[in-house]
Amino acid sequence: MKTGISIFIAAFVALGASWCGLVLAPSLQLGGAKETVVLQSADHWPQQRTGDATLGLQVYRASGCAACHTEQIRQTGVATEVTVTGLGAHQPDDFGAFVKSLFILPTLVEYTNAIAASLQGWHGELPRTLLTSANQQVVSEMANRLKAIGVKSETRIVPQGDDIIARGWGYRQSVAADYLYDQPVQLGGLRAGPDLSNIGVRMPDANWQWQHLYAPKSVVKTSTMPSFKFLFEVRPVGHVPSPDALKLAADFAPGPGLEVVPKPEARQLAAYLLSLKANVPLYEAPFTPVTAVK
Amino acid sequence: MSDENPSCPTPSGGEPTSTRSAAPMWIIVTTLVLLFLGGYYFDQHSGWFNPKVYAPYPNAEALGAYQPMSGDAAALARGKTVYESVCGICHGADGLGKPGQAPALAASELVITKGFNRLAHIPLAGLNGPIKVCGKDWSMAMAAMGAALPDDDLAAVLTYIRGAWGNKAGPVTGDDIKKIRAEIGKAPQVMTGDMMMKLPE
Repeated sequence: MKTGISIFIAAFVALGASWCGLVLAPSLQLGGAKETVVLQSADHWPQQRTGDATLGLQVYRASGCAACHTEQIRQTGVATEVTVTGLGAHQPDDFGAFVKSLFILPTLVEYTNAIAASLQGWHGELPRTLLTSANQQVVSEMANRLKAIGVKSETRIVPQGDDIIARGWGYRQSVAADYLYDQPVQLGGLRAGPDLSNIGVRMPDANWQWQHLYAPKSVVKTSTMPSFKFLFEVRPVGHVPSPDALKLAADFAPGPGLEVVPKPEARQLAAYLLSLKANVPLYEAPFTPVTAVK
Repeated sequence: MSDENPSCPTPSGGEPTSTRSAAPMWIIVTTLVLLFLGGYYFDQHSGWFNPKVYAPYPNAEALGAYQPMSGDAAALARGKTVYESVCGICHGADGLGKPGQAPALAASELVITKGFNRLAHIPLAGLNGPIKVCGKDWSMAMAAMGAALPDDDLAAVLTYIRGAWGNKAGPVTGDDIKKIRAEIGKAPQVMTGDMMMKLPE
């Protein structure tokens, strides 16, 4: 073993270098992350979970949910759109022609014809999105021109990407701050089921979550999710039915005289799922909340 | 070190051989020092990693452009927009003015004054020369370009020209403009240079 010491040093250096790159450097860069502030608000983000929801994360982990579900929304781009919300003194019929004559600036010319064409056959329904573009300057130029002629409009930041637009899993991409109170972080790697980053906003009813966990096909016909019956107790109905008993369809109900009630684990898991929200704009992932457009 | 030349006749019984020659120590030391300094510099900047910037935003500047602005930043941005669409055509986007069209605003003694009463009168009432700006005589006419602007927009523009291009005068608010507009009245009279200089600063 004349080379033993050299092999030891080489292995130590190799492992040490990867530890520095994979553990030390990320921890120096992001380890000091703190709560951030929600854009245009004094609220902090993320919110600390309730006790039940904190325990629910461990149920989520133990049940292997992360094997099929992710908690990471991807975003491929960002667009800005300008929406007309009030025509002022203008009539819908002449508005299209007016738009066309208004935007003679070289930066807007290529957009103007398309907008005027899209306004044909429009009868003044509001709000009406005039222009969606990845070019922010063009959109703000448009908004300023509209303001100058007395037309009311709103400019919105709209994150782009299949996760956000086509699948409707969230409003913006996931960022590091979202996982501040997750221990351990349940990123997930396979999407056999939908992404759950925003499930607390998409399905905010605990009873729905319980039904779905007990018998997934009872609420989602095409679901391939396995049933998590062991999180529930099937018992004879007492003098008074439990208020938390699942309202199951006849095909999925256990039988006459029996009711299905969630065990504490099911309550915790549902509390955790309802705490999963990614619905606020942050500095690192800005967007305009949908509620702003009336 | 072999200094045998292959073209020379070799001594009998011997083939030309090559041996290793060590690189000079100073090259090795310099390389290591440079590598260390480079690595240290890279590390100091975290490899130019910014924890707030995610794809698809290419850098912090691009991300900043998407932040909804409020307060002073929004007023300044609004002022720049209005300036470039209303005033910049003659006064120039760089505030240096254009010969034969309009005097400079950057470092102009009419702009960087402590008060802004005279300055606000110019876009609200209009000005008919002659005036003196930065040592040059101007005898031009400016229409009341600001009379049609909302108070907030005109205030934003004045704030912008008083703070841009190295100017360091204070901000103007919409309420100030409202007051001055009321003073001038509904039918503004175009001022001459002398009339303007008689106004309180």
